[in-house]
Amino acid sequence: MKKKPLSTPKASALDVSALESQALSKLNAGQYKEAIELYKALLKNANKADWRQALARCYLQRALGFATKGMIKEAVVLWENYAQYAEPPYQAFDHYVSWLLQTNNMVKVKTCLGQLSAQQLDEQYPDLAGLLGLLIITGKITCPELLPADSVFMKHLIFAQDALNADKNNKLEDLEQALQKLPFRSAFRDFRTLMKAALLITESVEQAQMLLAKIPADSPYQQAGKLLLAMTHQGTTLVNELAQFTPSQIKVVETAKNFNKKQIELLDIVTKQKDRLSDKTKFNLVLQYKVLLDTDLAQHYCWAALSTYPAGKRDYTKHFGALNDFDDWRLKALACEHDRDFHSSEYYWNQGIAVLKKQGSEGAFKIALIMRHVAKHQETPEEGINWLIDSLDHDPDDRDSYVQILRYYERQTQEIDTYKEWLDKSINKFPNDVELLALAIKAAVRNKAFKKATNFAQDLLKIDPVNTFAKQVLFTSHLAHARKLIKSKKFHLVEKEIQQAEKITLSKRYQMQAQLMRGFLVLLSEDKNRGEQLIKEALQKYNDGVFNAHFYVMMEALLINFPMAPLLKIVPPLAKNLVLSQQEIIQLTQQIQQYADADTANKALLHKALEKVKSVIKQSIKSTLGEETLLTLCQCLDAIGHFELIRVCVKIAQPIWNKPIWMYYRAYSEANGKPGKCSSINNFRLQASLKEAQDQNDMRTVSLIGNFLDQYHQSRRPFGLNIFDSLFGNDDDDDDEYEDYDDDDDDEEPIEILFGHLPESLFDKIVVKTTDLIKKSPPDRLIKIIAADYLPNDKTLILRLSNDFDLLFAFLMLKAADDLGINTNVTAAKIIKVFSDKATSKPKSFPFF
Amino acid sequence: MKTPYEILEVSEQATDSEIKQAYLQKVKLNPPDRDHEKFQQIHGAYETIKNVISRENFALFNYPKADFDALLEQVFITGPVLMNANIFQALLRASIDDNTFMPGNSKKTTV
Repeated sequence: MKKKPLSTPKASALDVSALESQALSKLNAGQYKEAIELYKALLKNANKADWRQALARCYLQRALGFATKGMIKEAVVLWENYAQYAEPPYQAFDHYVSWLLQTNNMVKVKTCLGQLSAQQLDEQYPDLAGLLGLLIITGKITCPELLPADSVFMKHLIFAQDALNADKNNKLEDLEQALQKLPFRSAFRDFRTLMKAALLITESVEQAQMLLAKIPADSPYQQAGKLLLAMTHQGTTLVNELAQFTPSQIKVVETAKNFNKKQIELLDIVTKQKDRLSDKTKFNLVLQYKVLLDTDLAQHYCWAALSTYPAGKRDYTKHFGALNDFDDWRLKALACEHDRDFHSSEYYWNQGIAVLKKQGSEGAFKIALIMRHVAKHQETPEEGINWLIDSLDHDPDDRDSYVQILRYYERQTQEIDTYKEWLDKSINKFPNDVELLALAIKAAVRNKAFKKATNFAQDLLKIDPVNTFAKQVLFTSHLAHARKLIKSKKFHLVEKEIQQAEKITLSKRYQMQAQLMRGFLVLLSEDKNRGEQLIKEALQKYNDGVFNAHFYVMMEALLINFPMAPLLKIVPPLAKNLVLSQQEIIQLTQQIQQYADADTANKALLHKALEKVKSVIKQSIKSTLGEETLLTLCQCLDAIGHFELIRVCVKIAQPIWNKPIWMYYRAYSEANGKPGKCSSINNFRLQASLKEAQDQNDMRTVSLIGNFLDQYHQSRRPFGLNIFDSLFGNDDDDDDEYEDYDDDDDDEEPIEILFGHLPESLFDKIVVKTTDLIKKSPPDRLIKIIAADYLPNDKTLILRLSNDFDLLFAFLMLKAADDLGINTNVTAAKIIKVFSDKATSKPKSFPFF
Repeated sequence: MKTPYEILEVSEQATDSEIKQAYLQKVKLNPPDRDHEKFQQIHGAYETIKNVISRENFALFNYPKADFDALLEQVFITGPVLMNANIFQALLRASIDDNTFMPGNSKKTTV
């Protein structure tokens, strides 16, 4: 767009004053362009010195401004305009000379240099002097005769040239003498530093680097310093630095580094496009310049690069020989894992395992390791455990696999027999393993096999004499046995059990329990009064308060199957409106936990005992308790499945602390611990809490909510991918039906049966193509296409296609795969068979055919 | 990126005890209170190759890294710098942009 010309005021005497004021205002505001026009107009009226000076100032400022923007030619013209209106000595003359140099205007440069005085060169224009020095000694300009002969600059120029000549003639002494003559304030100061660094570079790289660091960033020798510094580097650092230099500069470094032709070729490529080199280019460069590399290194690089550049396989084979079959699959599997595509990686690992199996026992260990590795990436723990179990066929001595398998089955309450089987196997295999013995003890306690638990605990204590868990088990086992003897009235044997329990060194609390048991024994078998006295003394030492004493007596009465009432008379009665202190709640929690840990059957008794005192507990929970105390109580109540009291805890805790863990306990207790009973609203709340817990890095809560939600979704899993299922819906509350579903292997979807073996990437490709086909054509057209390609003259099947979308979808997937040229091993006959089997094994409630 | 073998400076054929020796030696020189990061690196390397199983796991499941920079490192490892009057003068000349007569490698000024 054409700019509107500035209006030039007419020469009116009345306006001059206003014009001058306007011009001054523009000048002061830094609006030099407008000011120039105004002053030029003023000067047409009168050639006033003030206006000329002001105009000159405007031109100078404009020139400097343009130079700052890199518009050097404009800067030159503006400075020359400035010089027309200014009086000598001119300002920024050194800048002007520098701009002339940059615009390669050597005629004007020489004129200017002839005008320079010694004082200007030596004192006023140090930057210009430095630059001129560099240009003269490098022969870029030849003008020494124009410069003032009496200047210090000229003297120093001679010293610098002497130094260069001495260097050329290999006269080190003369060189050093010449350099010494260049003082700190010389225009050749940085030349001196640079040359000293160059002299040192072959002897001490570090000292040369230290010297080079002294060259200021704005020195004309800075770039030469950078080049010299680059010469001190090597490897990747050198390559990265060279990428910032010009080709002629790189050439100097290449000469100094004595690179060979191949190195120079490679360097040229990588410095030109280092950050833009594709995987393919890098791969090919390594092959092309493999002579520069250690062959193993080149081979390893190319092998690794195949994971991101699989097309290089042919060239790889040509240069390094065929890829080992196993490595080929392994590489593909690792590449998939790198992309977090574990489904495809599993496929490739399976191919690798097939290769290893051909190697017989040699490959067995690798197979086992692969199976354990694949196990880690399974979607469900069950699948992972199956891989681990299979791995033991190839390496039966892996203790960790046994432990993981046991830990899994330990959690599967419906798999008790399998757990026992694996426990026996593990203990037989590793009879002295502390962890396995501990698991065996737990299992024995759970099964009320106290004798067995005692034996395992004793075995464990032989290996680890201070194992607290084993000691606790032994102690509990003795007391449980004592109770059993009391119940069967074999009182004469009870004291022995109590004494054995007392021999086990545990905390004082355990000793008190033994004393209490003795009290019960005496009360029931010998002397009621002495028994009561013993119980009272023990409870006093226990010092857990009246409430906990009550609770303890209730539990013991229940455990020995004795009426509570007479025993409760021994302890003081509970006060009305009793509220427990935080300490009493903590002690109660410990008591409950201890009984729960000792025997799973105790849970029912704990519920009975708690039923009698829950009003006190509820009242106490409502009083001020710490979050930690409430949380511990919740965990303990969770262990015995007392959801009513958990709900009370949550009601108090959630409004105060509003944390994900409390949302979890709320949803968990409202569903009575059954994820399948969780409400939809709580499901959404839990999902929000899960995210919050993840953000807060609260991994414990993440795990709790995650497991709960997994089970929730599992319980709501639809019966199949068949779109018709959704039409009829599922009865979400019917757990048994889901269990039936889970146990029925035949319920695998036809699409899964037919195409499930494919790697995820191929499967996805086929699905995308299938979706494209569906989008492009209406159903009747699709059926015609399928019929023409796969079902000629089969009218029954064509009719089935129009009634069964899944069947049509399967055929469309086959068509998509064929179009894509993917060999799936699926045929039309196979599809028909799978769908026929399906229809026979599980007839739909809707008459499809 | 160094491999655990390179970190501990042991060969890929080293035995368990050789690896342990190398590890202890390295830890002695780099105790955790001096340079925790370095110590972690050494410890991590040891854990990765300390026994047959861990070494085999590393060999099987370590994602191969095609490290182009490592190759450049090897290709451009050079001997001492050659420096003489010709190179020095060439260096000085190359430091000046022929178009602008200014030191550096700046692009030609837009005029």
